[in-house]
Amino acid sequence: MRTRKIMNSPAYAEAAAEEMINSRSFWVDARMRFFKNKMAVVSLTMLFLLALFAAFGQVFAQWSYEEIDWSLLGKIKEQGGPNWENGHYFGVDELGRDLYARVVQGSRVSLLVGFLAGILAVCIGSTMGAIAGYYGGRTDQIIMGAFNITLSIPYIIFFVVWQAFFGRSLEQMILVMVIINWTAGLLIVRGQVQTLKNKEFIDAARMLGMSDAKIIFKHILPNMLWVIVIYMSISIPEMIMYESLVSFLGVGIQEPNTSWGALISEGAKTMTFGTLWQLGYPAAFFVIAQVSLYYIGDGLRDALDPKER
Amino acid sequence: MLNYSLRRMMAVIPTLFILIVICFFLMRLAPGGPFTSERPLPPAVMKNVLERYGLDEPLYVQLWTYIKNILFHFDFGPSFSQKDRTVNDLIAQGFPVTLTYGFFSAVFVLVLGIPLGVVAALRHNSFWDYVMTGLAIFSQIFPNFVLAPIMVLLFTLSWGLLPGGGWNGGQWPYVIMPAVALGTSYMASVARLTRGSLLETLSAPYIRTARAKGLPERTVLWRHALKPSLLPVISYMGPVFVYMITGSVFIDVFFSTGGIGQNFIDAAYTRDYSVILGLAILYSVLTFALTLMVDLVYAWIDPKVRSGLK
Repeated sequence: MRTRKIMNSPAYAEAAAEEMINSRSFWVDARMRFFKNKMAVVSLTMLFLLALFAAFGQVFAQWSYEEIDWSLLGKIKEQGGPNWENGHYFGVDELGRDLYARVVQGSRVSLLVGFLAGILAVCIGSTMGAIAGYYGGRTDQIIMGAFNITLSIPYIIFFVVWQAFFGRSLEQMILVMVIINWTAGLLIVRGQVQTLKNKEFIDAARMLGMSDAKIIFKHILPNMLWVIVIYMSISIPEMIMYESLVSFLGVGIQEPNTSWGALISEGAKTMTFGTLWQLGYPAAFFVIAQVSLYYIGDGLRDALDPKER
Repeated sequence: MLNYSLRRMMAVIPTLFILIVICFFLMRLAPGGPFTSERPLPPAVMKNVLERYGLDEPLYVQLWTYIKNILFHFDFGPSFSQKDRTVNDLIAQGFPVTLTYGFFSAVFVLVLGIPLGVVAALRHNSFWDYVMTGLAIFSQIFPNFVLAPIMVLLFTLSWGLLPGGGWNGGQWPYVIMPAVALGTSYMASVARLTRGSLLETLSAPYIRTARAKGLPERTVLWRHALKPSLLPVISYMGPVFVYMITGSVFIDVFFSTGGIGQNFIDAAYTRDYSVILGLAILYSVLTFALTLMVDLVYAWIDPKVRSGLK
């Protein structure tokens, strides 16, 4: 009777509510913090729209990205600008191809390469980091040696060498980016695992006879997933930038396929003729993507990193 | 200290060796080559060409000759696609150019980045602090290959202040834009790093002590706070140099400075193996040397590391 009375009191309800707030799980908590960050939410929306644009933008295009509009050749400077009437929403490029369709295609390639290479590289990097940190000793030495060698190789140089010899397909590009960046997140995951593996709950799991793989994936991984998520958010815009830089240099994606970097490069070459839209549109898309990814990364860091709280 | 330096230098040798070997085999094993063209050469001609460049020998002999020539004669061999020019010629011609604006770019990064960071830290949450935060975000979003066209658009095409490319023997108007375009984003990073670490140092107890005993703010800053705050900046300069070296490839191509980056990309197009390999080695050596230099300076300045080395 008395307990019920206590449970019905407003003070108890308040305490219970507080208890429930405090026992929110880490991820629910992080999600709330992330969505409270206005910049991050706006950026996430922007990125989502960009992804939609890349995926379905072709539906609205009246030209394909390879097609040349012969009627505009020779008068691109005067009539090739953005024009709703002839279906070239963003104008045409130097060769008379529809820039809207090309920007859609470029967004596809850039986002695909960036996300795929970024996520794959961090997966490999954190697996290696986890192995190095967990086993230590000789394994650790070998992995750290390889890590140091990789760090001291200039990225773009290796990228260009690779592209020069293995052709310039999309798959090759993703592959070489993953190879160069296999160290992404390695160091921080290694450090995290080194501290985690000496905790009591890991000892307990080991005493219960769990295998190493099971310990790593079931007990250690969930505890450092936030590090990996943060690292991916840093790594993806970086990959988009590398891809664009290499395509800008002309050794990345191959014509008639295109990417933001290749489009910016074409635009930069022709800007002396006054066809500024050829630089403006791809550059704007690139910048929007980078801004969004920057603020999403920022928001994720604020939401997930225990030090930031 | 000497011991440490030597040990670090020794570690470079195997790394470089592995790199050379990997690049060498990548090139020789890749399909196609500098002499594959749409109209195949007659076998007799092909044989002569291969003999001329020593490509008919077994791979390990080629590798050994290559390394031997570099080590003992500092000879990177002839260019495959540009007749009667050697890789050494290309390097001798292009490298000083890249080095010149690279040097000015590094000066720009340090001379502007550090003071900006100091001002932002001292006037925390002031106008300058916001300028710097803005600059840091800006430089993240506008990498050099977006920044450079915009700069050319403004300074050359709109206002006609600076030449939009070329080198012209390295006269200063021609150096400014490559150096600034290469350095801006690292300048912002250096400024942000300086700001962060100075803010942290300024809240340390020993700074409070220095203030409490009545030292003028100037002395507190210059003698006590600044030096330890610059340590992270110095260690950050290692990666910055690496990024700047790779960034210089882009600058060479975009501004047509005639630096080695241009040769490197051209060689990638024409599959000019010896040029690619020679320049890749040069870039790597440069990377190692600069990283080593930064590490040594760091070890020399930081008392903690210095005493740990003895």
